[in-house]
Amino acid sequence: MFNRLKKAFSKFVESVVSTVKEDTLSEKDVNEVISNLYFDLIENDVAVEVADAVTEELKKRLIGVKVPRFGDKEAVVKKAVLEALIGVLSDVPDVDFYQDSKNRLETSRPVTVMFLGPNGYGKTTTLAKLAYHLQERGFRVVAAAADTFRAGAREQLEEHGRRVGFRVIGGSYGADPASVAYDAVQHARSKGFHYVLIDTAGRMHTDANLMEELRKIQRVVEPQYSIFVFDAQLGNEALEIARYYSKYVKIDGMIAAKVDAYPKGGSILTFLYTLKRPVYFLGVGQSYKDLVQFTKQEYVSQLLT
Amino acid sequence: MKALTELFSKLVDKIRGVEYIDEATLQEIAREIQRTLLKADVPLDLVKTFTDNAVKRIREEKPPAGIPPREYLIYVLYEELVKLMGGEQPAEFKPTKKPYIVLLLGVEGSGKTTTSAKLARYLMKRGYKVGMVETDTIRPAAFDQLKQLAEKIGAPFYGERDGKDAVEIARRGVTNLKGVDVLIIDTAGRHRNEEALLQEVKAIYDAVNPDEVVLVVDATVGKLAAAQAEAFMKYLPIHTVIITKMDSTARGGGALAAVAKTGARVKFIGVGEDVEELEPFNPRKFVARLLGMGDLDALLEKI
Ligand SMILES: Nc1nc2c(ncn2[C@@H]2O[C@H](COP(=O)(O)OP(=O)(O)OP(=O)(O)O)[C@@H](O)[C@H]2O)c(=O)[nH]1
Ligand SMILES: Nc1nc2c(ncn2[C@@H]2O[C@H](COP(=O)(O)OP(=O)(O)OP(=O)(O)O)[C@@H](O)[C@H]2O)c(=O)[nH]1
Ligand SMILES: [Mg+2]
Ligand SMILES: [Mg+2]
Repeated sequence: MFNRLKKAFSKFVESVVSTVKEDTLSEKDVNEVISNLYFDLIENDVAVEVADAVTEELKKRLIGVKVPRFGDKEAVVKKAVLEALIGVLSDVPDVDFYQDSKNRLETSRPVTVMFLGPNGYGKTTTLAKLAYHLQERGFRVVAAAADTFRAGAREQLEEHGRRVGFRVIGGSYGADPASVAYDAVQHARSKGFHYVLIDTAGRMHTDANLMEELRKIQRVVEPQYSIFVFDAQLGNEALEIARYYSKYVKIDGMIAAKVDAYPKGGSILTFLYTLKRPVYFLGVGQSYKDLVQFTKQEYVSQLLT
Repeated sequence: MKALTELFSKLVDKIRGVEYIDEATLQEIAREIQRTLLKADVPLDLVKTFTDNAVKRIREEKPPAGIPPREYLIYVLYEELVKLMGGEQPAEFKPTKKPYIVLLLGVEGSGKTTTSAKLARYLMKRGYKVGMVETDTIRPAAFDQLKQLAEKIGAPFYGERDGKDAVEIARRGVTNLKGVDVLIIDTAGRHRNEEALLQEVKAIYDAVNPDEVVLVVDATVGKLAAAQAEAFMKYLPIHTVIITKMDSTARGGGALAAVAKTGARVKFIGVGEDVEELEPFNPRKFVARLLGMGDLDALLEKI
């Protein structure tokens, strides 16, 4: 996964190793090689301003690092870059969604999970995948069809429900999405379901009215988890989306979909760095099993293996 | 679109602000052009060639009498951008026989099904009788989605709710909707790594022999558009591209540039979810809008 981004970092490590002259990394050493990394990050779809910020921070963290004159220079540099990168993302928590939400179930049942994000990125499919995995773990799940707008949205969720075996509440076209979601939560509460998964209509971050509507759903149902679903193939648009979405709504965690479409992986860095929220899962295909857990720790160490 | 336009107008303002264009200013402007294009998701190699070309022209060409060098620089930028976006001529969508069969394809969620309905609506408004076929047997309720859209715009529709064989559905769709002027065939989403699905769309192509193959590209995923287009082109020809979701902050520049490189023509852009929200694409107008239209008109007239 993300082979090209990986290559960018190994190239960077190599060039640091070959430029370092003294036994600590000097500002000059780092400056000499960081601009290549900068362009490589952009080439791999990290948003330009995030690439700016990340290389700047990396630089700061790398200057002054001690490198032995003899012995395994590469291992030392690699470790330094790894630590620097982890440092850059230090305020992003890693959250195991299954464990975290299970803990919550002890005090509040149902746990409410809302899916949101721009058009066509994979919300509905990801919801169905999560329902599948939660049910595999023995939980009872109900879904709210709060996309009452897009043609075929309700039928799509219902068909997923039939295949995976979860019930779908509400969702006649044109209905108020907030009340659909609210009804589903009431239903789940009275019937003892563990999780309510709320599907919402895709919306462009530039549409203020639709963003307000999303905010209203959050106000009415107060979901424990609002999960932002993004297409892993995004480039610079990721930054704009992150900025606008976080202005309007609360985002607790994220899921990157379509990672199997061979994205370069830069969008994940952009979102982690900008939103400072955990990415819970990656979507890696169109079937229900294709949802894998994600940690930033693993992502970063993968980039530097 | 808005942010992209802001980005480019900032660049234009910057150029207008310089007194003389000496080598140092030119380098500085070149760097600024580079950054702007990178932010617009234009692939790095294209950015480099673009900037080199523009700088070379500024160095070598003399502005016509009465045009200040900085205005001429903006003009060069305009011209090169138009080239980058696919050239002067807007490409028209013109059915040339009956029925004119159009096949839509693209990656998952790029907007094919919505665009099928938009294109149908666009043609119906121009007097064509348009039919639509849904061959997506993979995404749950793809059938319902296009059927509902067809009903909304009043177009004849063919699909099979629990169909399994996309190729057969396509074939039967063509037979069933024989009387229309244009037949739009929607397909399931697929990407460059899904070999079996790519084979399937090739088989649909062979079975219905479409007159025009349209690749639907999501503007927000920018740069990857080129790789996607190239992957599809290994299996079947792509004549036309429609870029969707340009109502985002639209870094569509990247998608446009990438597509122009493949030789396919961009004919429409999608600017919203509604079936009416499809616009014919005109590279000249698009770039003029990017650089701040009003001013540019006057400048173009002078040159
Ligand atoms: N290859 C691949 N396709 C995916 C993945 N996740 C979703 N998709 C596909 O992407 C397309 C769009 O997915 P949806 O779940 O309908 O997206 P959405 O965000 O709900 O879309 P709207 O509700 O219209 O905004 C479908 O064809 C899905 O099968 C993934 O991880 N990999
Ligand atoms: N904002 C905006 N949304 C669009 C545009 N075009 C399509 N969409 C939305 O994008 C989402 C995906 O569109 P679809 O038409 O279902 O995409 P698709 O390519 O058919 O998806 P699959 O069949 O799953 O591969 C839907 O929510 C559409 O309403 C556009 O130009 N602007
Ligand atoms: Mg959906
Ligand atoms: Mg579709």
